[in-house]
Amino acid sequence: MRTARGRRAAIPYAFLSPAIVLFVLFLLLPIGYTAYLSLRKVQVSGLGLGAGARREVFAGLENYRVAVGDSDLWWGMVRVLVYGGILLPAMLGLALLFALLLDARRVGARRFSRLAIFLPYAVPGVIATLLWGFLYLPQVSPFQRALRELGVGTVDLMGPTTIYGALVNIALWGGVGFNMIVIYTTLRAIPAELYESARIDGASETQIALRIKIPLVTPAIILTSVFSIIATLQVFSEPTTLSPLTNSIPSDFTPLMKIYRDAFARNDIYSAAASSIVVAALTLTVSFGLLWVLQKRAFGQER
Amino acid sequence: MSTLMVNAPPADSRTAASPAPAAPPRRLAVLPTLALLAGAVYCLLPVMWVVVASTKSGAELFATSTFVPSTALFDNVSELSAYRDGVFWKWMLNSALYAGGGALASALVSGLTGYTLAKFRFPGRSVIFNIMLAGVLVPQIVLAIPQYLLLARVELTNTYLAVLLPSILSPYGIYLARIFAAAAVPDTLIEAARTDGAGELRIAGSIAARLMLPGLVTIFLLQFVGIWNNFLLPFIMISDDEKFPLTVGLYTLLNQGATLPALYTLVITGSLLSIVPLIVLFLYLQRYWRADLLSGAVKA
Amino acid sequence: MTRKLAATAALMLGAALVGGCTDDDGGDGDGPVELTFWSWVPNIELAVDAWNAANPDIQVTVSEQAAGDDLVTLVITAAGADEAPDLVQVEYQALPTLVSNDVLADISEYASGVSDEFAEGLWQQVTLGTDAVYAIPQDSGPMMFYYRADIFEELSLTPPATWEEFAETARTVREERPESYLMTFSATDPGWFAGLSQQAGASWWNVSGDAWNVSINDPATLRVAEYWQGLVDQDLVDDQPMYTPEWNAALNDGTQIGWVSAVWGPGVLAGNAADTAGRWRMAPLPQWSEGEHVTGNWGGSSTGVTTDSEHVEAATEFAIWLNTSPEAIEILVREGGLYPAATSGQTGPALAEPPAFFSEQTDFYELASEIADTAAGFTWGPNVNVTYDAYRDAFGAAITDGTPFTDAVNQMHQTTVEDMQRQGFTVTG
Repeated sequence: MRTARGRRAAIPYAFLSPAIVLFVLFLLLPIGYTAYLSLRKVQVSGLGLGAGARREVFAGLENYRVAVGDSDLWWGMVRVLVYGGILLPAMLGLALLFALLLDARRVGARRFSRLAIFLPYAVPGVIATLLWGFLYLPQVSPFQRALRELGVGTVDLMGPTTIYGALVNIALWGGVGFNMIVIYTTLRAIPAELYESARIDGASETQIALRIKIPLVTPAIILTSVFSIIATLQVFSEPTTLSPLTNSIPSDFTPLMKIYRDAFARNDIYSAAASSIVVAALTLTVSFGLLWVLQKRAFGQER
Repeated sequence: MSTLMVNAPPADSRTAASPAPAAPPRRLAVLPTLALLAGAVYCLLPVMWVVVASTKSGAELFATSTFVPSTALFDNVSELSAYRDGVFWKWMLNSALYAGGGALASALVSGLTGYTLAKFRFPGRSVIFNIMLAGVLVPQIVLAIPQYLLLARVELTNTYLAVLLPSILSPYGIYLARIFAAAAVPDTLIEAARTDGAGELRIAGSIAARLMLPGLVTIFLLQFVGIWNNFLLPFIMISDDEKFPLTVGLYTLLNQGATLPALYTLVITGSLLSIVPLIVLFLYLQRYWRADLLSGAVKA
Repeated sequence: MTRKLAATAALMLGAALVGGCTDDDGGDGDGPVELTFWSWVPNIELAVDAWNAANPDIQVTVSEQAAGDDLVTLVITAAGADEAPDLVQVEYQALPTLVSNDVLADISEYASGVSDEFAEGLWQQVTLGTDAVYAIPQDSGPMMFYYRADIFEELSLTPPATWEEFAETARTVREERPESYLMTFSATDPGWFAGLSQQAGASWWNVSGDAWNVSINDPATLRVAEYWQGLVDQDLVDDQPMYTPEWNAALNDGTQIGWVSAVWGPGVLAGNAADTAGRWRMAPLPQWSEGEHVTGNWGGSSTGVTTDSEHVEAATEFAIWLNTSPEAIEILVREGGLYPAATSGQTGPALAEPPAFFSEQTDFYELASEIADTAAGFTWGPNVNVTYDAYRDAFGAAITDGTPFTDAVNQMHQTTVEDMQRQGFTVTG
C-alpha cells in the first residue's frame, strides 16, 4: 500500500469515510442496538418499587412472538395501505397534472401558482395538521360554518371513515408541491424541439403531453413515487397530532404510532424494538424492490 | 438516463432565466388556467387562515370563525416575544442553527460521497451505495431512542451536536449527489486534471465541487427544510428549553396538560413566524432549482 | 470543499470535546451547587428566581417542558442514560411508574419532617404507603362542577346535587337550548375519568404483601361508565374530546354550559373563554347519593428528586421550600394558578381573594377548601401510563363504534393486567 497505485486505490475509501463513519455511528449502531433490545425485556421482582426492583433480562424471541401475533400491528398496516392507496394516486396524479399545466402553453398565472402550490412544503407536518384541524372542526371552521349557512349542515370530517380523507388531505396538501416541482424541472429540461415537430404536425397540447412529455418524465415520476411510498409507509406525525381532536384515531392507528406508543407512552422499548424490526424488515422488502427498479432506470446508462 | 432535475440535453432552447416557456401565449386557455388556480387556492387557503388567525386576540380566536382579520397581530407578536423573556426568538435562532449547520455538513458529505460513488471504480462501490440508500427506509422513530442512549454514553445529549450529528447523513442527499456528479462532472475533465498532475483532493474540492454546486445547493435546501421541520429528534435529544428548535418549542406551548389552557394564539402566531424564514428561503430555492441547476447541467 | 470538510470536522470534534467537558452538574469544587429542574408550571421560574436570589450556594435552573405523559417518558429515557435532571415535576399518578423505574430518589432522610405540612391523603401519595418519601406534594386537584350561572338562571336551573339531578339538568338543557350541552364526555382525558371513579369509591390498585391487586373494572368504575353511557346514548351530553379548539369555541359561545373539572378550572376557563369572565360559578361535584360529600382528584403534582442527582440533600431542601414556604406558594398560586398542597397555603393570603375569573363568587376558595377535604384516597399502580392509554383507545372506539362503555372499562383492566404480568409483577385480583 506504500506505492502510488495503492494510494490511488485507497482514495475512494478515504473520500467515503465521513459518510461511512456517520452511517455506522448513527444508523448501523442504533439498528444493532435496537436488534439487541428486541431480544431483551424487563423483569420486575416483588412490587417493583424502589431501587433494583427491575432487571433487564434475555427474552429470546418472545417480543417477536408478541409483535407478530399482535393483530393491532397488522390492522395498523392495513390502515396505512388504505391511506396510501388513496393518497399516492391522488398526490402523484395532481403533481403530474400541475407540472404539465405549468409547462403547457397559453396557461396563465403560472409563476403565482407554482409558488402557491409549493408553499405548503415549507410548513412542518405538526403545524400543518394543527391548521387543518382548525379547518375540520365544526365550530371553528369557516368552511363548516359556510356549509351550515347554506343549509347543508355540519359534516363530521373526522369520523371513523372520513378520518382517512382528513389525513390524506393533509398529506396531499403538503406533498403535491414538492413532487410537482421535481416533475416540472424535469419537463423544463426537455429540449423544446422534441415537440416542435409534433406541433407542426398539428398535435394538440393534450396529445403532446400524453404521448411525448409523460413518457419522457417517467423516471422522475418513478423517483417521486418511490420516495412518496416510503414517506407514506412512515406516516406518523399527522395522525399523532390530529388524535387529541377526535375519537377516531387510536394510539396504534399506524404501525409507527404503535411503536411510538409502546416505546414512549408505555415505556416498553423492548417490544417496541421488536415491532420496529418487523416493520422495518417489511418496509425494506417492499421498497427495496422498487428502489431496485428505480436504480436500474436511473443508472442504466452509467456503467 | 433522464434523471431527476438534472438532464443533459444537447441544448435547452428555453433560457434558464425566463421562467415561462418561450412561445408567447396568444390566447389564454381558460380551463387549464382555472385548474391551476384551483390548486393554488387550495394550497394557499390554510396559509391564509393562519395569517388571519394570527391577527386575532385570544378571545376572538374562538368567538369569531371567519376569514375576517382583526387587529391584534402586533399584540400577539409582542406577547410571543415577551413570553419567557423572548425564548421564542431563541428557538428560531436554534432552528436556524440546527438546519443551517446540519444542512451545510450534509451537503458537503453527500457531495463528496456522491462524487466518489459516481466517478471512481472500486470494489464494494455498489454495495456501499445500496446499503446507504437503504438507510432511507429506516424510520426515525426506530432510531431515536437508540441514538439517544448511544449519544448519552459520550455525554452529548442535550447539546447542539446531539441534533446536528444525526442530521448530517442523508441517503436521499447522497443519492441526488451521485446523480448530479454523474451528469455534471465529465470524466474527460477529471482525466485531464489528473494528467496535469492535480491531486485527487484538489480535483474533488475545486473542479467537481464547482460543477456540482447547483446540486449541492439543492441538497442543502432539501436538508434545511427537513431539519427545520423535524420534531422527534430534538424532542428526544434536547431537554434544555433554551436549546429547543421551533417545532419542539411550539409543541410545549400547545401541550400544557389538563390544568392549563393551550396557548393557541401564541402557537398560531409562532407558526406563522416560523414559516416566514422558509418562505424567504424558498424564493431562493425556486431560483436555484431552475436557473443554476439547469445551467450547471448545460455546462456539462 | 475538502478543506472546508476538514475544518467542519475539526470544529465539531472541538465542540464535542468542549461539550463533553462543560456538561457537568456543578458543585464539584468551591462553586455553588447547581441543580436542574424540569417542570411545565407556567412562571415557576419566578419562584426559582426568588430562591436563587436568597440562596447563592444552591442555584436552580428551570427548563420548561411539555406537560404530562411526555415528560414522564423523557425523564425515564434520560434516567436510563444517567442524564436525568436533579428535580422533576411529577403528577401523582406517575409517581409509582417513576419509582418503579428507579428514577426517583428516596428523600425520607431529609424530608420526613415536613409530613405535617400536608393532608394525610396527599402525603400518602408521595410515600406510596411505604416508609420512603419520593416527592414533595405541590398542588392537588379536587374535582368540582363549573357552570354558566347566567344560562342556568335563564333556564331556571340550579346546580345539581346528585348525579341523578345532573342527568335531569342535562336533559332540560337539551330541551330548552337544543344547540347546547351541559357537558361533554371526553375519551381523551383519562385523568378526568379516574377522578370520577375515585368519587364513586373505585380502587384500581392496591398492595397486599408482595402482590399488586388490580381491579380497574370494579363495581364503582363500571357504575360511572354506565352512567355516562346513558347520557351519551340519549344525547344528553356531547361525546367529543375536551381541550380542542372545538371545545374552546363551545365554551365561548355557550354551546357547552358546564364543566365537571377540578380546582384549577378557572385558569383553563380564563385562558380558553376570556370573554365569559364573571358568568361562571363553581359548585361541589354532584353526589351518588343525597347528603354525601365526596370528591375525587383530577391532576395535582409534586416535586421529585432523581436518583441521578449528586445533590439530593440540596435538591430536597429546594423542593421543600418550593412547596411549603409562604413566599413560594404565593408565587405558585398567583402566577402558576395552582391550588397548593400544603395545608398552610390553603388558608394563606394568596387564596384570600377568589380567582379573577370568578370575582363574583367571593367564597370560592373557602368552598374549594371544604371540597378538598372530602377527596377520596387512591392508590396508583406502577403502569398508569398504560391504563391511561388504554382508556383513550377503548373509550374512543366505544364512542365511534357504539359499543358498551363497560366493555371499554374491562379493556382498560385487561390491558393493564397483561402489561403488569408481562413485566413480571405479581398480580392478583
